[in-house]
Amino acid sequence: MDLAQLADFARDDARTRGVDYADVRAIHTESESIDVRDADVQGVGRTTSRGVGVRVLLAGSWGFASTNSCVEADVRRAVEAAVDIARASGTVRREPVRLDDSPPPAGSYVTPHQRDPFDVPLAEKVEHLLAAAAAGREVAGVAFVEATSDAWKTTTHFRSTEGGSFDQTVLQIGGGLRALAIKAGDVQRRSFPNSFRGQFTCGGWEDIVALDLAGHAAETAREAVALLAAPELSGKQRTLILESSQLALQVHESVGHATELDRILGMERAYAGTSFVEVADRGRLRYGSPLVTITADATTPGALGTFGFDDEGIAAGETTLIRDGVLVGFLTNRECAASIGDRSNGTARADSWGTIPLIRMNNVSLQPQAGDLESIVADTADGVLLLTNKSWSIDDRRVNFQFSCEAAYEVHHGERGRLYKNPSYAGRTTEFWGACDAIGGADDWRVWGVPTCGKGQPSQTARVGHGAATGRFHGITTGVGA
Amino acid sequence: MSPLGADRAISLAEAAFAVDGADAIEVVITASNSALTRYADSRIHQNTARLDGEARIRAVVDGDRIGVVATNDLSAESIRRAGTAAVEAARVTPRDAAYAGLAQPATYAAAGTLDAATASCSPAERAELVAAMLALLPSGVLGSGAVESARIEVAVANTNGVRAYSDTTRAAASILAAGESSTGFAETTTSRFSELHGESLAERAARKVELGRNPRDVPPGHYPVVLEAAATATLVEFLCWIAFGGRDFVDGRSPLAGRLGEQVCDPRVTIVDDALSPLLPGVAFDFEGVPKRRLPLIDHGIAAAVTHDLATAKAAGVQPTGHGLPAPNPDGGYPLHPMMEPGESTLDDLIGGLARGLLVTRFHYTNVVNPMETSITGMTRDGTFLVEDGRIVGGVRNLRFTQSILAALSAVEAIGAQTEASSELFFGCARAPAVRLSNFQFTSTTTF
Repeated sequence: MDLAQLADFARDDARTRGVDYADVRAIHTESESIDVRDADVQGVGRTTSRGVGVRVLLAGSWGFASTNSCVEADVRRAVEAAVDIARASGTVRREPVRLDDSPPPAGSYVTPHQRDPFDVPLAEKVEHLLAAAAAGREVAGVAFVEATSDAWKTTTHFRSTEGGSFDQTVLQIGGGLRALAIKAGDVQRRSFPNSFRGQFTCGGWEDIVALDLAGHAAETAREAVALLAAPELSGKQRTLILESSQLALQVHESVGHATELDRILGMERAYAGTSFVEVADRGRLRYGSPLVTITADATTPGALGTFGFDDEGIAAGETTLIRDGVLVGFLTNRECAASIGDRSNGTARADSWGTIPLIRMNNVSLQPQAGDLESIVADTADGVLLLTNKSWSIDDRRVNFQFSCEAAYEVHHGERGRLYKNPSYAGRTTEFWGACDAIGGADDWRVWGVPTCGKGQPSQTARVGHGAATGRFHGITTGVGA
Repeated sequence: MSPLGADRAISLAEAAFAVDGADAIEVVITASNSALTRYADSRIHQNTARLDGEARIRAVVDGDRIGVVATNDLSAESIRRAGTAAVEAARVTPRDAAYAGLAQPATYAAAGTLDAATASCSPAERAELVAAMLALLPSGVLGSGAVESARIEVAVANTNGVRAYSDTTRAAASILAAGESSTGFAETTTSRFSELHGESLAERAARKVELGRNPRDVPPGHYPVVLEAAATATLVEFLCWIAFGGRDFVDGRSPLAGRLGEQVCDPRVTIVDDALSPLLPGVAFDFEGVPKRRLPLIDHGIAAAVTHDLATAKAAGVQPTGHGLPAPNPDGGYPLHPMMEPGESTLDDLIGGLARGLLVTRFHYTNVVNPMETSITGMTRDGTFLVEDGRIVGGVRNLRFTQSILAALSAVEAIGAQTEASSELFFGCARAPAVRLSNFQFTSTTTF
């Protein structure tokens, strides 16, 4: 049997076992990573993983079992194990789990792309990265330059006992470069176009070529070297300007996770935490200034969190989370949506055949307003511009956060001034978004990929997207701990 | 799925050796049978099991061209196909100047435990442990957490003659008790399901809920603190990430670069990496087949060693320490079994020595601020208390710390006699004691 037939087989077997509901995901994933440093290839790896995951709802309790074996007898044992596990879940139960009345899925989806990265010759991909590293390496004072690419191709065959069925292939890809400068106990880095292995999208190899890593390598390396001589950003309340990739991560941590309904309902309490947001806040909570409108959209072209169907079979769509600064929606799945009388907005995703779907961001994006980075800088009398994330941290209810960035520029009388190293800022979520008085326009807006979003036990990693433009915030604590 | 067993695991690895065109081949086989029962608000809401495995083949051609291909299809035919693909990848990959060859055959010490009862742990047994923990929570207090059991096989074989195999079990339990205005947390990790002692975890978590009710605000600033074992473990885990990796050390971007042999913190602080210790679930060899051994990283406050795989050991001109990760691994060796040595104080002694300070149960979402200063930031959670005159006087709302790890470990006043294994989110696991520090910097507060 191929994987699609195995999915049919497992669904049919589950039907014979008296379950309330079952869904099966039979998945094949290929992944590849390439790391180069200067003129050396540090690692080329390709991994294939395939298997079958069976989720059953029995007497109002969940069970899930999965296997990497594609032998019928082993898949049947996985169905049997899922039922046994659901029975055990039922011994420590409160209200029975109820699913919403979403219609079962039907259809197929393939990520639009030109060149499947797994069809591009390995030598071509390696050469592309080596050329980028070489271009940065020419800058005097740089210690080394690293360039990377990553790709995933995930084919899912979904079948449910409600008659749902879809087949989907999602292609995700990323690439970037990083220059390091090291001197007398100080290590500085600059990344392009983003930190932590670059920019990530749904698409083909053409997305990596379009980044023009080699064309930006020298500038990136020069700024890394310049940071060694730059002063630290001192501690002070300032007007803060965030370029779009950092603001995208701010959206991720302080809006995306905070509006996941499973967190709000306490289902992640012991691990990644809950949320300061409550169900009753919908339509009432002033989350930010009237400039702040944030949507969750799984159809954003080319974005990392774009797909055709989520892992419960909900067709991709768009929902508004914050409108004109007021909380109006949540990220939901079928179970959580039903518990508040809603229908799922399709954000349930698992990171493999061996894990269950959780509520995960798709593309949670801050909608554009007007202007761009340069016009916002020109409109700022006194402030600081922070560039490219270096680290992040937020409390277990998504209130108190602190971020560090790779570099900062003083902004004085509408012009960029001195360069600073090790900049940071901190705040509380609704106070921070309430202090937003400028967001760039459509031409300044870009969807950034975050490929390492962690959640759940066993821990899962989701690849999500966030659209953002430049943003400005007044009275923010900067230079924490300096 | 039945376990592979040593003979089958090794023979599967050897299936890749028949591939034409390679100078050398290394195969890492893993097979796991894992299950995790998760509960929230005193009900089991997620309950999962996974059978999985992997064959990871590193092929070497022309002396130093490397290709790595992995598959989770553990049939001999699939492994041979992956081996062929690894050779093909190596042929079109430029030379790797850092390649240091594959490991040589060695003998391995005993490590880890295979407990039959844990290997066969049923969903009903995990649910019973959850129920037993929940039964001990007072009325109005809800429990959330996880109970986990797993059997993990690892085999490493290469064409130099390395043949290594490990078959171990792991069990873990955690509970977060949540009252109206406070929370408490306890967890444990071991090799035997029977040693999880869920009742004592539940009692600890519930006690913190009671002690922390109606928390008050304290302003950010510098405080003397007692860090319970889980909070100390976070400092140890992050020091491992920042300071003890061989690649960062060779590159000069470890805070210990050029400082081995220097006093870097209080002489009472000793941190080792020890996969052979019975106190942590461990494997006797790394993913390159190099034997593991007890490695002092900080020895009585002196920076003693960093961890190396074969490549960074060659670059540093030292012997590998048995800390290689699965190929391809540009990041070098990494300590996966860190432990801070215990002292002699009870937790009550540590708290009793605080004139006025804070007691921290654990940290949340810690991250690096400046690696060369070993400075990190994170939040307290699930039990943060004000201590006055050596007594806990009540809970406080959570605070954010921004603090150099080595500065904190230089401010040690006393160290607890008991160590515990703890993990924080996505950053691994360490074993550590509680400590009392004379100074710890909190930089902001939150609302709960």
